[in-house]
Amino acid sequence: MAELRGSSGEAPNHILTRWFGTPDLHRLETYASKAGGYSAMRKALLDMAPADITNEVKTSGLRGRGGAGFATGTKWSFINRDAPGPKYVVVNADESEPGTAKDRYILENSPHMVVEGILIAAYAVGANQAWVYIRGEYDRPYRMLTEAIEEARAKGYIGPKPFGKEYPLDIRLYRGHGAYICGEETALLESLEGKRAQPRSRPPFPAVKGAWGRPTLLNNVETLATVPAILNMGGAEYAKLGTAKSPGTRLLTVSGNVRKPGVYEVELGKTFRHVIMELAGGPPEGRKVKVFWPGGSSAPVLPESMLDTTTDMEALAAARSMGGSGGVIVMDDTHCVVKAAHRLLKFYAYESCGKCTPCRVGGDWAVRTYERILAGQGSQVELDILQRVSDGLQNGRCLCGLGDSAGWVIDSTLRHFREEYEDHALRHECNVGAVMASA
Amino acid sequence: MTALSAHVLEEIRELPAKYPQSRSAVMPALDLAQEEMGHLTPEAMTEVAQALQLDPGYVEGVATFYSLFHLEPVGKHRFYVCTNLSCMLRGANEIVDHVRQAIGVSGSEQVSPDGLFSYEEVECLGACEYAPMMRLDHEYHYDLTTQTIDELITQRRSPTPLAPTLSPGGERVKKPRAPRKKKADG
Repeated sequence: MAELRGSSGEAPNHILTRWFGTPDLHRLETYASKAGGYSAMRKALLDMAPADITNEVKTSGLRGRGGAGFATGTKWSFINRDAPGPKYVVVNADESEPGTAKDRYILENSPHMVVEGILIAAYAVGANQAWVYIRGEYDRPYRMLTEAIEEARAKGYIGPKPFGKEYPLDIRLYRGHGAYICGEETALLESLEGKRAQPRSRPPFPAVKGAWGRPTLLNNVETLATVPAILNMGGAEYAKLGTAKSPGTRLLTVSGNVRKPGVYEVELGKTFRHVIMELAGGPPEGRKVKVFWPGGSSAPVLPESMLDTTTDMEALAAARSMGGSGGVIVMDDTHCVVKAAHRLLKFYAYESCGKCTPCRVGGDWAVRTYERILAGQGSQVELDILQRVSDGLQNGRCLCGLGDSAGWVIDSTLRHFREEYEDHALRHECNVGAVMASA
Repeated sequence: MTALSAHVLEEIRELPAKYPQSRSAVMPALDLAQEEMGHLTPEAMTEVAQALQLDPGYVEGVATFYSLFHLEPVGKHRFYVCTNLSCMLRGANEIVDHVRQAIGVSGSEQVSPDGLFSYEEVECLGACEYAPMMRLDHEYHYDLTTQTIDELITQRRSPTPLAPTLSPGGERVKKPRAPRKKKADG
């Protein structure tokens, strides 16, 4: 196994990563003996009513760690536990937001933490069957999760009577096959049903009509991995961490031009200066941070002057960005913003599922415009086109957020780095030192 | 004579029962087909469709949507090099150039002349703290340099064969099949 890069060990803010790095933590025995594993599940099944579990999660203030940041307990309460017929928990392990590796970090270090969280959630919302949709490229996390599920099955935690309780629980895995759009919850459901992964229009929401037409709770890996800790420490105690509206800790993947890239567990409300300059060691010798993406490539960029923005969702919204998936991509002053934006637009154009016209057409249009600009054929017309395409991609013109995300890359880089765009488009020059191989 | 062998078709026919609705079997079925064929030929997709009682056009529609299904031949060993932003900022484009040169492809080619290697530039693989990185067959490789690429290629060209690789997306553990239970009397 590659060396661990990120948080592990004892620290006041290490709620998830406290035991990461412990040898054999991926084995049930170690997870139970060292990390108190499955005690939260035992408590949930034997000592708590399902509604109490959901209330505890509500009290914690936990918000979804996949991207949208929706209140987890509230989401759980949307499932009608008493509705007849099957209900499902579907776990989004299709991590593919550029710059995000935290679900992989959790699955490779402590797969049982995820299994335990899934089982608690299933019990709380009245589901007997959970499905983990895991991206196809995650071979090792897939193996580790499979082994963890088998161990839990052998112990009886998965099976007809977990902890002696007459409540059958099962978890199965479904592998993705390479499509960013599957991280979007309704596209994921389409894919799980064996279709092209194109988002559905809502309503109906998955809580009412989700996987195979049944009520479905969809949560991200990190969200569910946090649940055992919340039950163990109590929702109120968890809520003391972080800020009032964004409580707790979350895993930030710091990548790009930093000396110590890694997956860091951070108490929400800390500044990006702390995360980038201290935890990740800042940019390489002699270079300066120029810009960073605070929450995956879809989060609008922030320039170096905004490093003191805090990591909670409210502060990021005020800065016209978002917490997203927690992928912090750092770019230093030897790299060109226009070229970086071009690369990301290629990504969004390629990954567009093709269902909504603005996204299907707009992404390619933007890429072609960037290509003209970078080839020294730009003018004011190209800059105007970029702004128009960006506007056309945003504000609910598409069924899902992919179009908005593409628009935000253009919009935010134009807003903060107008001069670099004008250098390229109007003066046909790049004033950034580093020469990058043309993308 | 079918493109897919009888036992693979048999296995595919057993898949729908494992899901709440049979359509969910289409991707696992395509996995099995790709594992046997290396890539998905039109014949293989048609046979998958027949085995699952789906329209061939539907199955092809699914196969063409997802990047891990290959519709053209690929190499015995496949490089999937991440070139998204986090890796690009740490030299991914140089890695791609080196892989192309080392396996001997030019222009828009993706498969080496001897068929041993192929490469693709892919989007973020979710291991950004180890950038630049790639997936080679079913394994991630981190902190890539031109030297690590050369070593990996040399190992795979060496006359002692490595363990056989499986097709993309189709890593399965074959379990011995339990003897079929007789239906309970009554």
